[in-house]
Amino acid sequence: MPNQILVDYLPLAVLLGIALFFAVLLPILSLNLGPKRPSQRKQSPYESGMTAIGEAQRRLPVKFYRIAVLFILFDVDIILLVPWAMTFRDLGYYGLVVMFIFMFMFILGDVWVWKKGVLEWE
Amino acid sequence: MSEAILEAPGSGAPETLANPVEQAISALKERFPEAVVDDPRDGYSGLVVPADKLTEVALALRDDLGFDYLSSVTGVDLIEDGKLEAVYHTYSIDKGGSAVVLHVQVDRDNPVIPSLVPVWPGADFQEREAWDLLGIQFDGHPDLRRILTWDGFHGHPLRKDWKEPFYEEDTKPFGSRWPAGGVLRAEELNPYGQNVQYPAGWVPTGDEYDVETEMYAITGADLAYSIDASQQMKTDKITVNLGPQHPSTHGVFRMVVQLDGETVVDLKPVMGYLHRNHEKIGERNTFLGNIPYTDRLDYLSPISNNLGYVLAVEKLLGSVVPERAEWIRILTVELTRIANHLWAIGFLLNDLGALQTPMLYFYIERELILDFFEALTGARMMNNYMRFGGVAYDLPDEIRGQATMEFLNELVHERLPRAIEQGDNLMTHNEIVRARSIGVGVLTRKESIAYSMAGPMLRASGVNYDVRKAEPYSYYEQLDFDIPVYYNGDVYDRYKVRMDELQQSLRIVRQVLPHLQATEGAPIIDGKPSYAIRTPQPGEAYGRVENPKGELGFYVTAKRRSSSPERYHVRAPSFINLTSLGKMCQGHKVADIVVILGSIDIVLGEVDR
Amino acid sequence: MTFGQIALWGLVVGFVMSMVIITGFAYTTLLERKVLARMQARVGPNRAGYIPLPGRGGQEKKLLAGFLQPAADAVKLFFKEDPTPGKADKVVYNIAPMLAVIPAILILAVIPWAGKIPGLVPEQYSYFAIVPGLNVAVLFVLAVTSISVYGVVLAGWASNSKYAVLGGIRASAQMISYELAMSLSVLVPVMIANSMDLGVIVEAQRGGWIVFLQPVAAVIFCIAALAELQRAPFDLLEAEQELSAGFNVEYAGMRFGMFFMAEYMKMVSLSAIAATLFFGGYRGPFVDQVPVLGFVYLFVKIFIGLFLMIWIRATFPRLRYDQLMLFGWKRLLPISVINFMIVAVFIVLAQEGVFAPITRLFGF
Repeated sequence: MPNQILVDYLPLAVLLGIALFFAVLLPILSLNLGPKRPSQRKQSPYESGMTAIGEAQRRLPVKFYRIAVLFILFDVDIILLVPWAMTFRDLGYYGLVVMFIFMFMFILGDVWVWKKGVLEWE
Repeated sequence: MSEAILEAPGSGAPETLANPVEQAISALKERFPEAVVDDPRDGYSGLVVPADKLTEVALALRDDLGFDYLSSVTGVDLIEDGKLEAVYHTYSIDKGGSAVVLHVQVDRDNPVIPSLVPVWPGADFQEREAWDLLGIQFDGHPDLRRILTWDGFHGHPLRKDWKEPFYEEDTKPFGSRWPAGGVLRAEELNPYGQNVQYPAGWVPTGDEYDVETEMYAITGADLAYSIDASQQMKTDKITVNLGPQHPSTHGVFRMVVQLDGETVVDLKPVMGYLHRNHEKIGERNTFLGNIPYTDRLDYLSPISNNLGYVLAVEKLLGSVVPERAEWIRILTVELTRIANHLWAIGFLLNDLGALQTPMLYFYIERELILDFFEALTGARMMNNYMRFGGVAYDLPDEIRGQATMEFLNELVHERLPRAIEQGDNLMTHNEIVRARSIGVGVLTRKESIAYSMAGPMLRASGVNYDVRKAEPYSYYEQLDFDIPVYYNGDVYDRYKVRMDELQQSLRIVRQVLPHLQATEGAPIIDGKPSYAIRTPQPGEAYGRVENPKGELGFYVTAKRRSSSPERYHVRAPSFINLTSLGKMCQGHKVADIVVILGSIDIVLGEVDR
Repeated sequence: MTFGQIALWGLVVGFVMSMVIITGFAYTTLLERKVLARMQARVGPNRAGYIPLPGRGGQEKKLLAGFLQPAADAVKLFFKEDPTPGKADKVVYNIAPMLAVIPAILILAVIPWAGKIPGLVPEQYSYFAIVPGLNVAVLFVLAVTSISVYGVVLAGWASNSKYAVLGGIRASAQMISYELAMSLSVLVPVMIANSMDLGVIVEAQRGGWIVFLQPVAAVIFCIAALAELQRAPFDLLEAEQELSAGFNVEYAGMRFGMFFMAEYMKMVSLSAIAATLFFGGYRGPFVDQVPVLGFVYLFVKIFIGLFLMIWIRATFPRLRYDQLMLFGWKRLLPISVINFMIVAVFIVLAQEGVFAPITRLFGF
C-alpha cells in the first residue's frame, strides 16, 4: 500500500533511474562510437613517458587511513547532532546543556587528536 | 698576460692596486714551485697543474687565497699533443675580477684526473659532461655516468677522431640489416603517416629493456621500506618519474624522485633530451656562422647569448667596439633581461598554481619588447644581432608607426613600471604565494657558492656577486645600478630578486636612452663588416656575461689564422644551477619540486645544448 | 495525487531538469573558459559557433562567439578511443565514473527551483522541485555528497597506476576532511529554520537572508564547497604540477568526460544549495505574486556563485596539499564547531525570552 512517505520519495527513485540511465548510456556510447585499437603501449600505465618502475598499488601511507577513521568518528558525531538540531527548540535549556556535554566530548577528542600529532604532515 | 687588468676607478697607475688574480698566481707559484707553471702556449694565460697536485692546488685556492667559486670545468681534446685537457676557471666572490685558470693535461690513453667534487660540489655535472663527451675519467667522482648522451652511447663524441657510426666510420660497426641489398627504410614500414590503421598483425613493441629500471630500482641494499617509528608500521618508498613528458618541467627534462610517502628523499635530474651537439657544431662553423647557433642556447634571451660569445671572440680578435654600439648592446641586453624575468616570474607563479593569470598580464609588456626586437633585428626571438666589434643593425627609425625613441621612452617610463607595479601588488603579498614559497627550497650562502650557482640563485642566498659589477664588460662601469641581494635563499627570495632586477634593469635603460639619443648616426661596428674572420693570433678566451639566468660563459680556443674555433664550450648557467636541485628538494613535498624547479628558471636549450 | 500520477510527474520533471542541468553544465564549461580568458587578458574559444555580424571597415564581429564549443567538446569526447588499462580491475574501473556522476545529478533532486506554481506543483507540496516532499533534504544532500567520494577513490584504485592510486586517495582525503566543516555549517540554517526541508528553509528567509544572520556559516560553507569540488585554490590534485592529473589519468573519452561532468554539475548543484541555504533561494522581489520569477532569481544567484568560483580560480595560486589539510582540520573545523555552539546558544536564549527585554528596549 503506498503511503504518503513512499509517494513522497517516488520522484527520487525516478530521478535515480534517470541518472543511472545517463550514467550507463554515456560509457556505452563512448565505447561504441570510438575506435578500438588496443596496443601494448596504450595498455601500460602512464608515467610521464617512461616505462613505469615498480608495481602500482603498493602499501599506502597509513596517514590516509587515519584521516578516514577520524572522518568516520566525527561524521557520526555530526549525524547525531542532526536530530538534536531539529528538536532543540522544544528542549530549551536542558537540551542546550546536553548538547554542550556532547560537544565537549567531540572537542575533547579533537584536541587529543591534534595534540597527538595525527593531523600533521597532511 | 692576464685577461683583464682590473683598474680601480680613480686610482693612479695599476701597480699600486695589486690584481687579485696576479696575487693568487704568484702565491700559488710560491707554494707549489715545481708543479704550478705558467701555460707556455701562445695566447694562453693560465697555469698548468699536474694531475696529482690538482686537489691540493684547488684546496689552496679555495681556502687560503679566497678563490672560492668554481665557475667552469671544460674538457679539451689536444689531439696533436696526444693529450686531453681539463680547464678550470675559478673566481673570487669577495674580490671580484677575472679568473685563475688551471689547465690539467693527461694522456689520451689513460686520462685520469682527480675529481674536484669533494672540493666544489658544483663540478659534478660538468665533470660528468667531460667524461661523457671527451672521455676524461674523474677519479673520486661520486656518480660518473653519461649525462648528455644516452647511457648506452658508444664513444666520446667531442674527440677530434670520433666518427659517427654507420656514416663516417671506415668499417661499419654493425652489419647490414639487408645483406642481400635493397635498403628498406623503417619509415616506409611504419605507417605513422596515415595514423589511422595498423597493418594486420603488426604490434608496436612496448617493453624494451630499460637500463633505467636497473639504475633506479630500489635494491636490497637500500632500505625499501621506511619504518614509521611511532607506529611500527612499514610504508614503502617509491620511485617516480617526473617528466620528460610533463607540463611543468620547463621543457624535456626528467627527474627521478624517490618518495617516502609524500616527502622527497632523493631527486636525480636526468637531462640530455634536447642535446643537439652544439659544441661540436661550433667547431665546424666559422666564427661568424656560430652566432645564430648561440641564439638557440637560452632561447628566451638570445641577444644576451650573442653578447657572451661575441665578447669571447673579440678577445681573440682584439676588436674595439664603438661607443654607440656599446650603448645599443646594453639597451638590448637589459631589455632582454626584462623580457626574460617577466617570463620567469610568470612561470614561477604558474608553477605555484596561479593558472597563467600573472604570466599573461606580464606578457602584454613582453610582447612590446619583442616587437621592438623585431623592428630592430628582424626576428622576435632568434635575433642573431651581435657582431664582432659592434652590432648588426642600427636602431630603426620607427616601430609600428611610432618614432623609436618615443616608443622606447613610453615603454620604459610608463608601461613597464606600471606593469611591474601591478604584478607586485597582485603577487608579492599574496598569502598563498607566501605560504607556498617562504622556506621552500632553501640554499644557504655556503652551499650556493660551493655548488657554483649563478645569477638570481646566488643573489637570493646572500652572495653579492654579479658579473656586471665583478668583472664589468661593455659600459656597465659608467652606469649607476644596484644589485638586489636577499638572504634567506628560498623561493620567495628568488622571486623578489627577479622583481628587483626588473626595476634595476629599467633604471639602466633609462640611463642609456639619452646616450643613444646623443650618438645618433655614430658607427655601430668596428671597421667594415667582414665575413671571412680569422683569428690573427692563437689563444684561448673566456667571455662571460650576466645572462638573466646566471653567468653565461663561452670558452673559445683558436689556432693561428683559423676561421673556426678549435674548442668551443658553453658554460651554461641553467645546467650548473641544476646541481643543487636534489639538495634543495630533500625533505619537501612533491608539489614543491615543481616550484623549486621554477625558481631556478632553467631553459632546456642551455641545459642540454 | 495517485501513485502513477506522481511517477509520471517525477519522470517528466526529472527528465526535463536533467536535460537542463546537463546543458547547464556544458555551458558552465564555456562560461568558465570565457570568463577565465577575459580575466587573463585574452579571448576564450570563439571559433566553434558564432553569428557573424558585418563589421564596419574592419574584421567581422562575432556574436555569441564560441557557443557551440561545448557541443564540439562533447562530440570529440564521444569519438575518442577508450582504452582500458591492461591490469585494471574491470568492474571497479567501469563503475567509478558512474559513482561520480550519479550523485551530482541526485543533488538536484531536492533544490527548490520556485515557489508554489499553480498547475505545475502538486497540491500537497509547497514548492517546485523534482522531489518536493523530502523533509530530510539537507541530510540527503550531505549523504549524496559523501557518495561522490567513492567515485574518486575507486577511480584511482582501479586504474592500477602509481599516480592514480595516490591521487585518488589524496583527493578523497581532501574531500572528506572538508565535509565535516560543511556538515556543521549546513546545520546552522537547519537550526535557524527549524526544518531540514529546503523549501521550508527558503520560506524562512522571507524576512531576510540567512547570510546576514550568520555570515560565518556562509563563508565556511563556501570554502568547504570549493574544497569538495576540488576547485582552486584547492585543486592541487588535478593540477599539472602534481604527479600528472591524479586519479583520472587512465580514463579517456567520455569516461573522462563523466568525471569532468560530475565536477561541473556539482559546481552548479553546490552553488544552488548555497543559494538556497544562505542566500534566499528562489526568493526575491515580487516572487509571491509571480511565482515563475523564482526560477529567474535562483538562476541569477547560481550564476553569481559560479562567477565567484571562476574568479577565485583565476586569481589565487594553489595551496599545497598538507597546507590544505591543515586548514581543513585545524582551522575550519574548530571554527565551525564553535560557530554551531554559539548559534545554538543564541537561538535557545532567544526562545526562552532572554533577549526580550533588550529587543523591547529597542522597540522591536
